Amino acid sequence: MRSDVRTLFFAAAFGTTCALVLTAVSRLAAPYRSANEKAEEMRNYLSALGVPFDEKASAKALIEIFDRNVVVQTNGRLRIYAFVPAGVSQEAMAFAVPLAGMGLWGPIKGVLALEPDLRTIRGLRFYQQEETPGLGGEIGAEWFVRQFKGKKLVSFTGEPGFRLVKKGMPLDENSVDAITGATMTSERVQTILRDVAAKVAEERGRHDRNE
Amino acid sequence: MTATNRVSVTCVGCAGSKCRETIRAGVHTNNPILVQVIGICSALAVTSKLETALVMGIALILTATLSCFFMSLIRNITPPRIRMIVEIALISVFVICFDQILKAVYWDMSKQLGPYVGLIITNCILMGRLEGFALQNPPLLSLVDGFANGLGYALVLAIVGCVRELVGSGSLLGFAILPESVYQTNLLFVLAPGAFFTMGLLIWIVNAASPPKPEKKP
Repeated sequence: MRSDVRTLFFAAAFGTTCALVLTAVSRLAAPYRSANEKAEEMRNYLSALGVPFDEKASAKALIEIFDRNVVVQTNGRLRIYAFVPAGVSQEAMAFAVPLAGMGLWGPIKGVLALEPDLRTIRGLRFYQQEETPGLGGEIGAEWFVRQFKGKKLVSFTGEPGFRLVKKGMPLDENSVDAITGATMTSERVQTILRDVAAKVAEERGRHDRNE
Repeated sequence: MTATNRVSVTCVGCAGSKCRETIRAGVHTNNPILVQVIGICSALAVTSKLETALVMGIALILTATLSCFFMSLIRNITPPRIRMIVEIALISVFVICFDQILKAVYWDMSKQLGPYVGLIITNCILMGRLEGFALQNPPLLSLVDGFANGLGYALVLAIVGCVRELVGSGSLLGFAILPESVYQTNLLFVLAPGAFFTMGLLIWIVNAASPPKPEKKP
């Protein structure tokens, strides 16, 4: 009986100490970590939009480039990042919309860049994901995202959507190869893309009415 | 004369020659990777480049040293029934701290190492040293043991990282050693199989050069 009480007491004291140490370290590191995460997000927006920038630029420089070239506007449900090249033109050269959704093991976040027609994909980046390394984790790899460039967010009948199809199946301008061995991740990415396609279609409707 | 004195003074805390023996065991005669062949999962994963291998080695040296020292400090008050949970919790604290600091000051490296820093928690080298050494030995000797084993791991990682980066990409620490125009990237060494070959050869060479002594029967 006494030893049980001692065990409990020890476990409580030890656990509390560990928790305190972890809290302190995490609080101290938090501002630096979140600055790095923010810069990482911006780097992805810039590279998806095709804004020229130095790969090794510091967090501060990235924020500056971002503020100079990118105009952020919120339209209804959708946040749009327009690439208006500083000092070149007033017309937006590209648009980007954020991607978010649940992956297999955790949230997936990314950015989808579109040409000014809001139909053609200009670039795709995933900057936060915890998919299985080597399988689903490949959504962050260059070969996977490269496939999307030039594809359309609408099918040839005009329906908004996107498909990830099994490798070897015929591809059209509305689909790309899924990842072999990562069916669950591929399905979730497809859902995220369809979700965005629907929102973009809404936005396109508004766009067309205005013009 | 004074130098010898100082050495013997620092080693009093860890019982004289035992200190040197412990370092030798961790780095060479009982090297966690080359002789015991444990904890090689991360060793295979992060050695495609020398830089990541070095940072991972430093991470393991730090966490092993600290957790061995603190485990040994509390070894007499830890209830035996929950000692394994305590060991894991202690390792986790140091690993998470290191991971947080890495994310704050060395973001690119933390991105390259991905989940492997966090996975040090499950590295059997640490658990093995705590369970097999720190629980029976005084704090300073345990600290030396943790450091020696971390160093043994780090050295092997550095060697494998060197070979893989040089043969795989023709560079070292990111600097091109063999000009890109001449040298074709060797994917076999950049990808995981290269680690298996390099590690296997290294284990073979070291064990052939100095065969492990059969354990003495008590």
